[in-house]
Amino acid sequence: MKKLIIIPAYNESECIERTIKDIEKHAQGFDYLIVNDCSTDQTREICEKNGFNLINLPINLGIGGAVQTGYQYAWENGYDVAVQIDGDGQHDASFLQRMSETMGEEGADMLIGSRFIEKEGFQSSFLRRVGIIYFTGLIKLMTGATITDPTSGLRMINRSVIEIFAKDYPKDYPEPESVVAVLRNKKQVKEIPVVMRERQGGSSSIGSIRSIYYMIKVTLAILVESLRRYK
Amino acid sequence: MSIRLQVILLVLLIFILIGMVTQIKRKKLDLKYTLSWFALIIALIVLTCFPKLLIVIADFLGITTPINMIFFCGFCFSLIIIYTLTVAISKMSDNIRSLTQKIALLEKGETDHE
Repeated sequence: MKKLIIIPAYNESECIERTIKDIEKHAQGFDYLIVNDCSTDQTREICEKNGFNLINLPINLGIGGAVQTGYQYAWENGYDVAVQIDGDGQHDASFLQRMSETMGEEGADMLIGSRFIEKEGFQSSFLRRVGIIYFTGLIKLMTGATITDPTSGLRMINRSVIEIFAKDYPKDYPEPESVVAVLRNKKQVKEIPVVMRERQGGSSSIGSIRSIYYMIKVTLAILVESLRRYK
Repeated sequence: MSIRLQVILLVLLIFILIGMVTQIKRKKLDLKYTLSWFALIIALIVLTCFPKLLIVIADFLGITTPINMIFFCGFCFSLIIIYTLTVAISKMSDNIRSLTQKIALLEKGETDHE
């Protein structure tokens, strides 16, 4: 079984080496692909110097476009499983093996690493928790499924979902919206408890001023997604 | 509206129309996105030729001063034009995204081959 780790990287020169070392050590049997989203720092040079498996976007596309490129690569190269990991060291690669086993056992099409099942590790700030609880409620309302951590970036998907994402993936703040799209495609979404670290460098893609835009955009996106028809 | 003003307006509008057609001929404008501009100019030509129409329409819509009707129509047309532009931009940004990804994947395939 071919398994791919997708690491979207925008100005992650501080952490990218550590992230890859972590993957090589803890996630045997996984290939990885760094998607350099036209970084303005040394990310590209560092990756090339180390001979990391790298794909360079000629224009900055934002997180959605970068991750989607990874899924397109996974689709074209016949990967059975793809998982997204953030380049900033928030995610622990040692969970990946267990995630792929669980995915097979439970017959899930998408497996989300959730911080809030066992409530261990870095739990995010209070306001973000409130936002996450709100999205959990909204998704429950629209699809009937309970997703405790809809904003989690640590998500493993099988080939049928890779196909969906390679064709269509939200541009920005893609996590909650794409979970709804997967649910609407009548795929099985399961969650697994994971522990996340606080980010080790770089800055979150969601600043304090942008959080209002984030809430409105993602809410609308989920509502519109619920209106779409799927076969 | 005096005959003189009518003639001046008409000449002006026809010049604009000719200007636009030449731009399209030279491929500086895409016909697809100029349809709403055409509609605007033709509507203005009709109203210039038959200014009484303005009063009739204003009356029908319950607008007491015909000049307000002009502002209202201008505003509506502007909105339509801006909206078509938003549609065009969305389409373009989608296309640019696909192209960027295709280029990146092709480049990746090439470097892997070497």
